[in-house]
Amino acid sequence: MNITEFHAALKNKKTSVKETVVSYLDKIKKENKNLNAYLEVFTEESEMLAEDIDKRIKEGEEPSGLLGVPIAMKDNILIRGHIASAASKILGNYIASYDAFVVEKLKEAGAIFLGRTNMDEFAMGSSTENSAYGPARNPFDPERVPGGSSGGSAAAVGGGLAMAALGSDTGGSIRQPAAFCGVVGLKPTYGAVSRSGLIAMASSLDQIGPIAQSVEDAETIFNIISGKDGLDSTSTELGDPSSEPQKRPGRQVAKIGVPKEYFSEGLDSRIKKSIDDIIGKLSKDYEIIEISLPHTKYALDCYYIIVPAEVSSNMARYDGIRYGMRQNAPNLLGVYKKSRGEGIGLEVRRRILLGTYVLSHGYYDAYYSSAQKVRALIKKDFDEAFKKPAHNATHSVAGGVDIIIAPTTPSPPFKIGEKSDPLSMYLSDIYTIPANLAGVPALSLPIEKIDNLPVGIQLIAPHFKENRLFGLGREIEKLFK
Amino acid sequence: MISKEDIEHLKDLARVEFGKNETEKLAEDLGVILAHMDSLKDADVSGAPETARAIDIKNVFKKDELAARDAEADQYQTAIALINAFPEKYEAGHGTYLKVKSIL
Repeated sequence: MNITEFHAALKNKKTSVKETVVSYLDKIKKENKNLNAYLEVFTEESEMLAEDIDKRIKEGEEPSGLLGVPIAMKDNILIRGHIASAASKILGNYIASYDAFVVEKLKEAGAIFLGRTNMDEFAMGSSTENSAYGPARNPFDPERVPGGSSGGSAAAVGGGLAMAALGSDTGGSIRQPAAFCGVVGLKPTYGAVSRSGLIAMASSLDQIGPIAQSVEDAETIFNIISGKDGLDSTSTELGDPSSEPQKRPGRQVAKIGVPKEYFSEGLDSRIKKSIDDIIGKLSKDYEIIEISLPHTKYALDCYYIIVPAEVSSNMARYDGIRYGMRQNAPNLLGVYKKSRGEGIGLEVRRRILLGTYVLSHGYYDAYYSSAQKVRALIKKDFDEAFKKPAHNATHSVAGGVDIIIAPTTPSPPFKIGEKSDPLSMYLSDIYTIPANLAGVPALSLPIEKIDNLPVGIQLIAPHFKENRLFGLGREIEKLFK
Repeated sequence: MISKEDIEHLKDLARVEFGKNETEKLAEDLGVILAHMDSLKDADVSGAPETARAIDIKNVFKKDELAARDAEADQYQTAIALINAFPEKYEAGHGTYLKVKSIL
C-alpha cells in the first residue's frame, strides 16, 4: 500500500493508522532478522503516535500529506532522543540532541518513524556490507546486496517493511539501492533539501531524499522536506513550482536526451535492452535526441578524490572526546588514534587516509585541485546538454534537451562478498556520480526485472527542475502497470 | 605508488590506527586507487575554474538573535543531552565534570 492508497483507505475507514503501523511492526519482527534493514525499531513510540493520529482523524482532520505515514529513517539522520550511529561503532551510543531539519518537517506533517535503518558506515559504500552491524540483504534475493549506502532504507521499502523512507545520496546512495530493491529514489538538486542534522560525509555532494513505492509518493515527501533552512546556508528556496507552465500533466518535457557515454561498454546488455525498449515507446510522444556528456569518463576519478578529501576533514570530529566511543591510552594523541582506530571501520579509515594524502603538500595540485577543475567540466557538460538553442538557430542542434535518460546501475544487484576490492565497488556508482558532481536532481525508478532481480532507469533534470523528473517518471511508471 | 613510510606518516597526520594486516592491504589498495585516478591527468582543465560546489552560493549573514527553537527550556534539555553524550564524567560535590586527558 503506497501513501496515496493509504490515505484513501483511511478516508474510507478501511484501515486505521494504528492497524497499519502494527502490521508493519509485525512484518519487521518477522522479517528483519533476515533482511537486517533496521538497526532499531521504535515500536512503542510509533504505536502511541499512531493512536494519537487516529484520534485526530476521528475528530475531523483530513488524511493528507504524510499524516500517519510509517517512515523508515536512515541512521545518519538525527531524530532527537534517538541513537544516530551512521552504522559505525564510534557512534554506537550517540544520542541525537536535536532534530534534523527534514525530521522536523516530517514530524510537523504527522509522519511516524518506524525505526532507523542500516547503511554503509558513514554512508561510505555501495552495498551496505560496510555496516558495523552486519550487512543488510536484498528483499528479492537474500544472497544479494540491497545496494548502498541507503541499503537498509531501500530494503525496508522494497521488502514492505516501511511505507517510505529517507536516505542520503552523495554519489548514488539513494538511487542505486532504490534500483536494486525495486523502488523509487530521488536525489534532489544540491541545496533543495537542508543538510542540517545529516551526519556529513562529503558536504559539497551530500543530499537527503525520499525512497518510496511510487513517483507520486516521492514527490509528496520531497515537497514536504525541501526548502530553505537557516541552519544550512547552502539550502535554497525552490521558487514557485507553478512558475513552469504546465503544458498538460506530465508534459513539462518535450525533448529527451540519451547520453551515449552511459550506454557503452560496461553496461549489462539486458539493462540496455530494457531501456532501449522504453525509449522506443517514449519516442511516440517525445523527441529523442542522442547527446554527449564528454567528461563522463573522468567522473569516477574526480569523485574519488573529492570525496576522500572532504571525508578526511568531516571525520576529524570523531575523536572520542565530546561524544561517541572513547578508548583510553597514555596520552591525548593516543586516545585519538586508538578511539578512531577501533571505532571506525576499514573503508572509512581508508578514505580518511586517501583524503589526507590527496590534500597533502606536494600532491594537492595533481589530485584535489585538478579534480575540482574536472568537476567544473562535468557540470558544463550538463549545462550544455540542457541549454536551449537560440530562437533563430536554423539547424537542429544536439542539446537543448529537457531531461536525460540513463541507466541507474551498470548491473543488477550483485552478490554479497562479490566485490571485495574497493575499486570494483566504486565502479558500481559510475552512472550516478555525475549528477552529484553537477548538483543536478536525478530520480531512479524501477523497470522490468531481470532474472527476478530489480533494476532501475535514471532520469536527470536541470537544477531545481524536480517537477520534470516526477512528470516523466509518472509516464514511465504507467508503462509497467 | 605510495610507500610504507608515506603511510606511516599519513596515519599520524590523520590520527588513525591500522592493524598490521590492514596496513599491508592498505598500501596495495591505495596504489590501485591512485593509479586509476591518474586518468585525470588526461583531462584538459585549462580554463576550468576550481569548483567547490556545483551551485552558486553566497555568504549568508544573519542577526545574532534567539530563534524559537532555542527557547530556554529547550536549551537546558540540549545542554543536558550534550553532557550525557560525553564519554567520561566525574561526579564531585555539586557538579558533573567532563573528563579529558591532559593537553600539556
